[in-house]
Amino acid sequence: MPTSTSRAMSLPFVPGIVAGTAILALALTACGGASSSGTAGGATGSNGAAASVSNGAAQVAISVEKVDGEDQCVPNFSSAPAGPVTFTVSNKDSSGVSEVELLSDKRILGERENVIPGLKAVSFTVTLNGGSYQIYCPGAGTESKPFTVTGGATAGAASSITDQLKAGTEGYAKYVAGQVDSLVLAVADLKTSVDAGDVAASQKAYAAARPFFERIEPVAESFPDLDPVLDLRVADVEPGATWTGFHPLEKDLFESKAITEGTKVLAAGIVTNVGTLKTLTDELAAADGYKPEELANGASGLLEEIQSSKITGEEEAYSNLDLVDFVANIEGSQQAFEYLKPALTQIDHALTTQISTQFDTVNKALATYVDPDALGGYKPYTAELKASEATALTQLIQSLQAPLAKIAEKVATV
Amino acid sequence: MSDEQPADSLSRRRFFGGAGSVAVAGAGGLIAGTGGAAVVGGALADEQATDPATDVERLQATSATLSYPYYGAHQSGIDTPPQDHLVFTAFDLSATTATELQLVLAKWSAAMAQMTAGRPVGKVEPTREHGIPVDTGEAFDMGTQGLTLTLGYGPSLFDDRFGLAKFKPKDFADLPAMAGEALDPAYTGGDLCIQACANDPQVAYHAVRNLARMARTSVKTRWTVLGFGRASAGPHQKTPRNLMGFKDGTRNVSGEADFAEHVWAGDEAQQPWMNGGSYLVARKIHMLIETWDEDPIGDQQSIFGRTKQEGAPLSGQSEHDVPDFHAAVAGKPAIAPDSHIALVAHENNAGTKILRRGYNFTDGLDSVGRLDAGLMFISFQKNPEQFVSLQRKLGSSDRLNEYIRHVGSGVFAVPGGLPESGSYYGKEFFA
Repeated sequence: MPTSTSRAMSLPFVPGIVAGTAILALALTACGGASSSGTAGGATGSNGAAASVSNGAAQVAISVEKVDGEDQCVPNFSSAPAGPVTFTVSNKDSSGVSEVELLSDKRILGERENVIPGLKAVSFTVTLNGGSYQIYCPGAGTESKPFTVTGGATAGAASSITDQLKAGTEGYAKYVAGQVDSLVLAVADLKTSVDAGDVAASQKAYAAARPFFERIEPVAESFPDLDPVLDLRVADVEPGATWTGFHPLEKDLFESKAITEGTKVLAAGIVTNVGTLKTLTDELAAADGYKPEELANGASGLLEEIQSSKITGEEEAYSNLDLVDFVANIEGSQQAFEYLKPALTQIDHALTTQISTQFDTVNKALATYVDPDALGGYKPYTAELKASEATALTQLIQSLQAPLAKIAEKVATV
Repeated sequence: MSDEQPADSLSRRRFFGGAGSVAVAGAGGLIAGTGGAAVVGGALADEQATDPATDVERLQATSATLSYPYYGAHQSGIDTPPQDHLVFTAFDLSATTATELQLVLAKWSAAMAQMTAGRPVGKVEPTREHGIPVDTGEAFDMGTQGLTLTLGYGPSLFDDRFGLAKFKPKDFADLPAMAGEALDPAYTGGDLCIQACANDPQVAYHAVRNLARMARTSVKTRWTVLGFGRASAGPHQKTPRNLMGFKDGTRNVSGEADFAEHVWAGDEAQQPWMNGGSYLVARKIHMLIETWDEDPIGDQQSIFGRTKQEGAPLSGQSEHDVPDFHAAVAGKPAIAPDSHIALVAHENNAGTKILRRGYNFTDGLDSVGRLDAGLMFISFQKNPEQFVSLQRKLGSSDRLNEYIRHVGSGVFAVPGGLPESGSYYGKEFFA
């Protein structure tokens, strides 16, 4: 499949445009004031000349503007010496381009969004080894422009993002293992209570077990046979199929409030299947482990779960524990994000900050539903609570999900 | 009938015959009715080089390429001829800082320019597998469809959250409570509003959806109404009918002089950013349709003051006859003084006029099983007081009140147009 990246890259770099707009771009940068560094030293910079170093970094200004009626990204230099490079981006009058990225092949090393006409210039700094890079401006007439870094490898260069991502995925694998281990213990406890015929204790044990599963739900879902047998809701059961897992057990414990032989079979099945989940997650961690984009997609997927089944109250229809699941989904999502955060901060500092802030907002809002006396520690998600709170909860999640959905692309490796 | 219609006096085949971009541009102008206001997107016009097979396809192609300039003295969507469909949405800001608001307004300004030109706001199909599409894509390739996007600020925008009190237009406030209202808070107010109008509902919906999406961390949708079947006429447009089956707005504001006198705001707002702007009043008016439908024709006509089929004032013969409020039949006024047209006529209101730009709406059934439908009334005026004075009269004595309820309400200050690309709404707030 031909991509627009490769198509655009085959276009020649046009020296005239670059030279002609260098001064303008610098002027915008200078009055923008968002860059912590000074402006590029080479005001007469032209194609072929490398950006000069000031304040410890080579300075490159990129002006997003209309050129002959077409939106374009116009850098004032097309090369820089190896080491830290600061790209300062301003949008003069291009309504079609709102972000600028620095790519190494298809890997995003740094970027700025919200490059909007009329707003101040923004900048990002990356440390680059010698080699070929691309300035990528989605939506521009020429989307990708080559950028060359001269010289050799530098200490602490771009590979550090890879190292951080690797550390992050390893950390997340440990987190998953911890949750699964806790889940194994929690469902064993649940089975004990059910076998003893103690409805109240079983209800408590059910509420205690659910969060361990909900925090890592995307991982469980990645094993296609496992999620249905453990977590299928009644509405999703095919006619004629056997309904197993947490929710028929929930129905027995919270609707009929009676433990039958069937209830005990369900509890035993959960223990078995959670055992399988442990085996499979251990194997996964020992083999390839997790990919950064899997963490990112999982973080976002947990928010989808909230929107599609928790906010509607479908998930825990009998126990009304939806807010307990909701909180666990958010925790799991935030954990995945936190493990990506060191690398993500380097790639897109503003987005990372925004997501952290949104997590804080969501957590603060969820804290208002805490009820120490309630099962699971949160208010039961009754019809009344849903009627009064669902809209606000939806908006809360949507404003976190929109930025969070963007991170998979930023951490995906090629 | 066709003899009376200038457009039909031309052979349609001949009229649309030259399928090149020039012919399309001409057709766009005629449909728009304002000639100079309508322009055709170059890229889309080029696509018309292939000859569409049928007249229907030619008409569709014309609508697809109809576009209005985004930059200019006034925002489009006010004096531009009403399109067929409306999506009206009011937003609340969840943003807590002026910088976030600035970003929303700047993003929206740039995106509105893109979409009114028929372009997506970003990639529909990103090249990287993990990329989230920037544009949602449902209007891709559908053309401009005469899309206009009109932005307004609610009075609440100028409270103490963003430090904008000093930018509040003089006397700008929520509409006062009026008789005949049963306002539902779920359809009332808002910090910002977007009026999206287009000849295709999907193009209008796409625009609002994408604006909401790109600002999701900072704004939340407060209320929204989907309008179909324009219920107001622009210049040279036939007067449409409301869901009561009556022509309404026969004597709407038209012509530059009327706009200057009644619609465009100027110095009286005491805010330079309102020069060339206007005030948008939105009223969601629920019609008690089932009851209305069983009302005898004589009563229906007497309530409106016009005949149902022709739309003539009860003092005259044809739609555009000037109503004679002194005419009498058998000693009684031909047009009842409490009829709809008598109450709102500028002759009876010290010359007050407003620009009506409303749409019919339907939302299925209401909570008690009645048709949930009516008029999404939208008017533009240089001072909200124009609407208030007319509505006070209607609310207290209009016989139509038996069949309608005002359930939604909002007033928004619509800034003047953006001068050129690189500018954005609200820039003066953040200097």
